[in-house]
Amino acid sequence: MSADKPGAVGSGPEHAGSVLQRKASLVDMLDPLSFGDVVDSLGELYRVGIRVLDERGRTLADAKGSNGDFCGFVNTTAQGRARCTALVARLNEGPLTPTQGAQVLPGTSPLGGELLGQPCFTGLRYVVLPVQWEGDVLGRVVFGPFAPEELADVPVALAELEGLELERARELLAHVGRQSEHRVVKMLAHVAQVLAALLASGQKAYLTGQLHLEAMLETQRDLEAQNAQLMRLNQRLKEADRIKSSFLGTVSHELRTPLSSIIGYSEMLAEGLVGALNAEQMQFVRTIIEKGNTLLKLISSILDMSQIEAGKVRLAFEWVDVQELVESSLTSVMPQAQRKGLTVKVHLPEVAQPRVVADREKLSQVVVNLLANAVKFTPGGGQVEVRLSAHGPQPGLVGEGYRIEVEDTGVGIPLDQRERIFQSFYQVDDSPTREYGGAGLGLAIVKSYVEGHGGQVSVTSEVGQGSCFRVVLPKEPPLSGHGPAYIPPPIDTDPERF
Amino acid sequence: MQLNHAQRELTLKIVYYGPGLSGKTTNLRAIHARARPEARGRLLSVETHEDRTLFFDLLPVFFTSSSGFKVKLKLFTVPGQVVHDATRRVVLQNADAVAFIADSRRSASAENNAYWRKLRANMREIGLDATQVPVVIQFNKRDLPDAQTDAELDEARKKGGEPVVGAVALRGEGVMETLHVLLQSAWRNLDERARLSRNISLTEKEFLTHIFQQMDLTGTSLESLYPTAAGRPR
Repeated sequence: MSADKPGAVGSGPEHAGSVLQRKASLVDMLDPLSFGDVVDSLGELYRVGIRVLDERGRTLADAKGSNGDFCGFVNTTAQGRARCTALVARLNEGPLTPTQGAQVLPGTSPLGGELLGQPCFTGLRYVVLPVQWEGDVLGRVVFGPFAPEELADVPVALAELEGLELERARELLAHVGRQSEHRVVKMLAHVAQVLAALLASGQKAYLTGQLHLEAMLETQRDLEAQNAQLMRLNQRLKEADRIKSSFLGTVSHELRTPLSSIIGYSEMLAEGLVGALNAEQMQFVRTIIEKGNTLLKLISSILDMSQIEAGKVRLAFEWVDVQELVESSLTSVMPQAQRKGLTVKVHLPEVAQPRVVADREKLSQVVVNLLANAVKFTPGGGQVEVRLSAHGPQPGLVGEGYRIEVEDTGVGIPLDQRERIFQSFYQVDDSPTREYGGAGLGLAIVKSYVEGHGGQVSVTSEVGQGSCFRVVLPKEPPLSGHGPAYIPPPIDTDPERF
Repeated sequence: MQLNHAQRELTLKIVYYGPGLSGKTTNLRAIHARARPEARGRLLSVETHEDRTLFFDLLPVFFTSSSGFKVKLKLFTVPGQVVHDATRRVVLQNADAVAFIADSRRSASAENNAYWRKLRANMREIGLDATQVPVVIQFNKRDLPDAQTDAELDEARKKGGEPVVGAVALRGEGVMETLHVLLQSAWRNLDERARLSRNISLTEKEFLTHIFQQMDLTGTSLESLYPTAAGRPR
């Protein structure tokens, strides 16, 4: 009964996906170089040739024995060479069954299967040890040829070879190592043990490595799928954000035009262009103008933000006297501060004319927004202080610069919200009954404009004690040399091109 | 299942699945200890230094049928720790039957449930049809104080179609019985789908007998089913 028919028609290598499905093979399990060294040293130890072949007859290791001269001499004859070649072919690839003169040797192999003794026509002998692993034949180890201990003289078969000089053959045969049966059995056991140990560790390393790779690939597939999902979501969010910005821009623009008319006509009414108003009418008209202006500021902020998010804000750099700019910004919040009864302090540096390169309008808006926030969030009787100072080169900034600080004694900002206040539409108090108005855009605009100037904005605060916003700007923004600069949008909202 | 007619070989893959430390490797060790060396390969374990399975364990068991077909069982465990989900899926691929090793302790119920769901999810992900791959549940650690009672096991049995076997794998109890149900279910399922008994002239009885006669069944309920065949080679 032959359970194995290596090389049978249609029996290609099984490559069913995972390494766990594949049949073990000697090539995978053994490291050829170090295994070759081990086999060489075993051959030297026992003074016998050892050849290890896989199930397809490929040689994995080959240690030469002491038979070289003798066999070489026999092979000089045509007949000798033919018989030797046939025998070696059978040893390497023939069936592992006792046929053609081979005999099953007593004893069991530590690697499973039967040991086969194979006599050579020269009187020498071979032993074949099948390499079985998990019930599969993975290859074989061929020992020999060696001279059996009882070999006295060259056999008749050798004498029959045409053209062989028998005396010389005898002489060379004497140099072939003799092996007793006992020694052969011990040697086989030893080699089989070594091979079994190498195979066990080799298989473990091979399977582990391969499986690790498979698990990594599996994980990568997972991550790629998740990534694709996130990309899709991100794309949708970007698109939604782009639509939102564009919608806000359009709507703000559409709101601003009629609002300007409302304010304009109200002002004409207040100025008495169409007749005098009585005191009550005048008060009503002033209220309309005041609320109209508040609404206009809000709409302007929304429009600014939508321009920023669309990447459409252009900074027009020019020489600006920052001291003058701070002072003029103060005038726009003074009425409000005075109404609330706040003390406003100003610290301007001694140095005259601190001229810097900036977009006057945008920088002014930064200072106004910060001051307006300070006034808004500071209760009556509090204090708002604005400081301007010069500073040397700083990490993250190009060259020398200046610092504008706006400090208040207001409500303060909880620690966990200090990063988020710079996001658009974010409000520390987002409850429906919130105390302070506003759209939550002021600081987002500040951050965007400051960063557009190559600067940084930061905040320190203590809840209930007050906050201090610090804007640090370079004297000359890095991009100012190239004319007007666009502020990059906070997130890339460009629609897909392809 | 891998069926190679040209080389006359049949390979079945059995996977032991379950929460970490529920006793999957212990099951394999017990089988290894009871199997005759001629019928099994080495137990290959890839463990961490804390004795936790890192990748998998593998125990091959094999025989040659009377019709000359070489039959090989590859028994695998998956790593139980949560982080090894990808490895679990790789090992589970192409399984012919799955043993779900549950921890009998009441305190482990949540974990058992979580891994049961993981098994279902893993099977879905790799395209194993839960109705086509038999699953056997082993309630391990029956000897522990907090273990569920036999009545509770019966309750669990009624909740689904899977066979349920009690075990103390550390002492080898219930391990062979689990393997028996597992192989029987696997065989019946494959026979139905691939007509194995006709195609490779191997009956369920011969299949099971070949395997369990190579095992030391002393003290198990299978002892009388498979009287020792020592000295009676088939």
